[in-house]
Amino acid sequence: MLKLAIILGVPIALLATVASLGVVVVDVREGGPDASRIVIPVPLVFAQAALAIAPAVAPIDKLRVPAEALEHMGLAREVLEALAAAPDGELVRVEERDEQVVVAKEGRFLKVRVTGKRENVSVNVPLQLALQALPGEDGRIRTAALAGALGGVRFTDLVEVHDGNDHVRVWVW
Amino acid sequence: MRKSILAGAGLLALVALSAPAAAQTGTPWLHVRVEEVKDATKVAVNLPLSVVEAVLKASPGMIEKHGRIHIGHDHGLKLADLRRVWKELAAVGDAELVSVESEDENVKVMRKGDLVQVFVDQKAKPGKDGKKGKGAEQVRVEVPTSLIDALLSGEGDEANIEAAIGELRKRRGDIVRIHDDESQVRVWIDEQNTQTPAGK
Repeated sequence: MLKLAIILGVPIALLATVASLGVVVVDVREGGPDASRIVIPVPLVFAQAALAIAPAVAPIDKLRVPAEALEHMGLAREVLEALAAAPDGELVRVEERDEQVVVAKEGRFLKVRVTGKRENVSVNVPLQLALQALPGEDGRIRTAALAGALGGVRFTDLVEVHDGNDHVRVWVW
Repeated sequence: MRKSILAGAGLLALVALSAPAAAQTGTPWLHVRVEEVKDATKVAVNLPLSVVEAVLKASPGMIEKHGRIHIGHDHGLKLADLRRVWKELAAVGDAELVSVESEDENVKVMRKGDLVQVFVDQKAKPGKDGKKGKGAEQVRVEVPTSLIDALLSGEGDEANIEAAIGELRKRRGDIVRIHDDESQVRVWIDEQNTQTPAGK
């Protein structure tokens, strides 16, 4: 009985631990006659570990932002910081005959909604994560800081795309 | 029972009070609205002035660390000259500064109270066979004199953007309105975080 408890208990406890630390779930559903569904759960700790060891494994130039982009990073940082401190509100709304785009700041998120005749896209950008994704003054992406920020976006729908019968959703649980 | 009703009524009152306040953020927002009739396109941009300030401050090459734009010597009018002209105009008080009347358009630049008003009325070109002409355009720009004062408070060929933003923070209402056959543009500042129907 004790053996059975250990055999079942250890993996369950491991799973529970990993799940409690967070899971990034990619859910792809394809519609139509050959409908299929792929769900890829990636434990957040794995993603964080991969990001943390990236500087040691990946070539330095792969983790460096091109010089021409780097000169705009200061502006991006200032804008993101100002947005994070700003009150909530609808920042941009574009209404065309067939499409509507709305960008709004809601709490800690920048929410982008694109509503079209066939396609609906919803992206929630955590401002803190976006800030951490910006490179340092040397142009290097601080993967460790990014890994840390990932933990702060749990229970968030990051991306949701409806394209006809197809549906893609990425969320952090 | 009575307590519950009172509590419910209190909650409802709170919700009712907080609902209109939800859009009022207490901080100034810069709004831009562009409507194009031909493409049935509407663009609305609402930015807290703090974000506008961050963009202006961080724009590389354009603004120095101290929030000043260099106009430079390549342009026709140096900022130092503009500053001198503005000082002279301030002494004059309310006046029609520029008035151009031509077949195509009328332009007026006036100083009225604490505003500099620019009115441009472009006349429509006559249409063929008695049809309504096209090309009419109406531009209304209202700039507070305090904003120009602030902008020109730098030294030499520098415009003081930081001081100008400070003035914009105090400003409420329309800044620019442009109407033509195909589009409407409006730029204004208020404390709403969205463009309400009343603000359209």
